[in-house]
Amino acid sequence: MLCQHCKQHEATTVVKTMINGKYEEHRLCPKCAHELGYDKMFPDFSADFGGLLSGFFSNALPAVSGATHCSSCGSTLNDIKRTGKVGCADCYDTFFDELLPTIRSVHGNTFHKGKHPGDIEYTVNDEKTGDTDKLTKLRDELKKAIADENFERAAQLRDEIKEAEG
Amino acid sequence: MSEAVVSTRIRLARNLRDYPFPIRLPADKAREIADKVEEALKDCDIRFHRIDLDKVSDAIRVAMIERHLVSPDFISAKEGRAVFLSDDNTVSIMVNEEDHIRLQVIKDGFEPDEAYALADKVDNILSKKLNFAFHEQLGYLTQCPTNLGTGMRASVMLHLPALEISGAVYRIGANLSKLGLTMRGLYGESTKPDGAFFQLSNQVTLGISEKAAIDNLRNITTQLITQEMRAREPMMNDIEAQDKIHRALGLLKTARLMDHSEAMRLLSLVRLGVSSKLLETLSSDSIDKLIVEIQPASIMTRYGDTMTPRDRDIKRAEIIRERFE
Repeated sequence: MLCQHCKQHEATTVVKTMINGKYEEHRLCPKCAHELGYDKMFPDFSADFGGLLSGFFSNALPAVSGATHCSSCGSTLNDIKRTGKVGCADCYDTFFDELLPTIRSVHGNTFHKGKHPGDIEYTVNDEKTGDTDKLTKLRDELKKAIADENFERAAQLRDEIKEAEG
Repeated sequence: MSEAVVSTRIRLARNLRDYPFPIRLPADKAREIADKVEEALKDCDIRFHRIDLDKVSDAIRVAMIERHLVSPDFISAKEGRAVFLSDDNTVSIMVNEEDHIRLQVIKDGFEPDEAYALADKVDNILSKKLNFAFHEQLGYLTQCPTNLGTGMRASVMLHLPALEISGAVYRIGANLSKLGLTMRGLYGESTKPDGAFFQLSNQVTLGISEKAAIDNLRNITTQLITQEMRAREPMMNDIEAQDKIHRALGLLKTARLMDHSEAMRLLSLVRLGVSSKLLETLSSDSIDKLIVEIQPASIMTRYGDTMTPRDRDIKRAEIIRERFE
């Protein structure tokens, strides 16, 4: 089958999306998949698809950190998987890429919002909403672009979202 | 609101940057953390007293669960575990449970903003002396990834007898996860609801701010209460329901033996009668307090560690009779 994007090369990558309850599959060639960013992890992009993409990526990509155990506490990834408990704060850096899909499937998100330890004055009524609104708007546009199979626009929006998130 | 909301709780999970999480923490290091927390709390204008779990009886440990001051999980091990309680028991800080620090504020009625403000204040005091594990992307780091981010669990304890009887509460409960919330029985995970008391809390902690999570909880709580009140109206006009409620009060006033689950069921009915103005007897608040007092370990801590279940049933019936006189 030919790539649905360039309609020139053989499609090798299947991207599954679930938008507003509508399930779709997009078949892409390696070049287009790369250009559109479907060959690497970018947390919030895939979070928009309710974890469907995250499952796809975690299968497609082997662990990248290469670490067998945490140098601070000695935990292995197997220890963490077996107990469901992380050994220490450093494990989150050591096994970041391996833990991220699980974190995403639990929370539907991988970026913290809210209090920081330095926020002594932070109260429940204070919240910066400006950036959040912009991000929400961009993400909505992104969903629409993908639904319309407008992949150029999707790639552009993805970059804007990344930038907005800082 | 107060007719259906018993209490509000805010819990914050925190860990120290320089120690392994409790699963990898040796006992001497665990005690070191408890000492550090004690030291950090000295800067707080709230007075705390420390209870080391290995220094108190089983009955006291279980009674703390019944009062919602600690979790059932917390007392499963003793070594290196301690809890700091404020004088009025509003604030409790469990040390070395699933995380190094589990700071909890519990308030009567529906008070999520007040409860959070207090938790936030104690958290700020602790964070001045303790170096909390925090990750720029993942927020507060916790032993279990389900608590990452804010580390905050906000929950309300609800009394929903009308929705329980119609079965609606279970249908609603099954759909809450879509909204990032979860509903359980009275004493936390995997406990069966006794007397139609339910705990509603946020499930997602990463990517949602404290404020947004509390707002979400407030919205759903308000909706649940509206539904509960709507379901109560036809029920209160039904002679069979009225009969059940009055009989419940009659039993509580006269019985000589009262086991725990019967007491919970009857008190739940009477609470429903009181908050629907069908009965004039104890207030809902007094019933809520009585419910804690008649829990098994709470009876034992007051009347003796060696009580048999039968002794407790006799004592329980006596406490209840006296209260309803």
